[in-house]
Amino acid sequence: MEEMIERKHDEEMTMLMSLALDEMLGDEERQRLEQHLHACPACRAEWQAMQAVSALLADSPMAGPPLGFAVRVERKLVEKDRKRRQTFGGLAVLTSSLSLAGLTVAVLCLVVVAILTWQGIGPLSSLQEETSAVSQVATGMGLMGKGASLFLGDMLLRYGSLLIFALGFGIVLLGGLWAWLFLRRPRNHQHNGYV
Amino acid sequence: MDQERAWIEQALQGDRKAFGQLVRAYERPVYNLTYRMLGDSAEAEDAAQETFLRAYAKLATYQPGRKFVNWLLSIASHHCIDRLRRKGRAPQLSLDGPLPPQWLTSDTPRPDQLVTRKQERERVRQVLDVLPADYRAAVVLRYWHGMSYREIAATMDTTESAIKSRLHRARRMMAQELEAA
Repeated sequence: MEEMIERKHDEEMTMLMSLALDEMLGDEERQRLEQHLHACPACRAEWQAMQAVSALLADSPMAGPPLGFAVRVERKLVEKDRKRRQTFGGLAVLTSSLSLAGLTVAVLCLVVVAILTWQGIGPLSSLQEETSAVSQVATGMGLMGKGASLFLGDMLLRYGSLLIFALGFGIVLLGGLWAWLFLRRPRNHQHNGYV
Repeated sequence: MDQERAWIEQALQGDRKAFGQLVRAYERPVYNLTYRMLGDSAEAEDAAQETFLRAYAKLATYQPGRKFVNWLLSIASHHCIDRLRRKGRAPQLSLDGPLPPQWLTSDTPRPDQLVTRKQERERVRQVLDVLPADYRAAVVLRYWHGMSYREIAATMDTTESAIKSRLHRARRMMAQELEAA
């Protein structure tokens, strides 16, 4: 118990020492500390050690960065901005490509279903014979399928190779654009070069 | 201060050159803090750069009533504390590593003074190295940046009472280390 009280008292005294180093002590507290230091050699030694540390740190100059630091920070800012624009640009291309692809697939599916309906294949073909609204749609799909089939057949006969070339070119162009946006690495700069 | 406000306004509009001026104005205090915290010049530069990049990214959150340098030092101290905690231990002293080339001294030292100063720098790093990250930050902000207890508490998002306690314990730990050395 006595040891605990003594330890608490020492803790209080060293706290006063710390506040004294920061000139945060009132007159009464300063007097109390001085009286204690007169009487306690251990605290006196600790006070001297704390003063020595304080003097060491206070005398230590401020460290500055190596030359060219600000330039390197500006360079990193430029690169960060470029990457951000690249990411957003890539996302925009991705989103619009996916939308376009989705639309194309939907149209293709519609055309395929229409052709199949006209051919009498698939679930819609059986509905054409009825008189409900759904059967009207099925009939319309069948007619559209007929039209699409005749049109596509005609186009393939006239411009088959050109169409295939245009489709292939479009796929290569889109693939190249994606590769350029997502796979290319930035050129190596001389980062953190000490002058 | 008006110039600083103008730079901040311009930087908020996306003017990187204006932000570059702020970097030049405050590179020393920010670097000093990261260097004292991390004890290695390469890591310190990396942390200082990261501080400025983060400051640029969240410049809109800066409140004009507060000192800009204190806001920067807040970002820097939090970043360094996180780095030290992620490492899981106090950093090894790289006594043989490169020292930062710029020290703010008013005179040209003699050769014998250079040796003494190098020894002093090593002792400073030695005593700082025994401190936990948050104690170290409080000591650096007090001794090198002359902040009051209130300013340190605001910078470190804590109370004045906690700062008093940290400085007290830090001084005792550093005193013991200096005596043992």
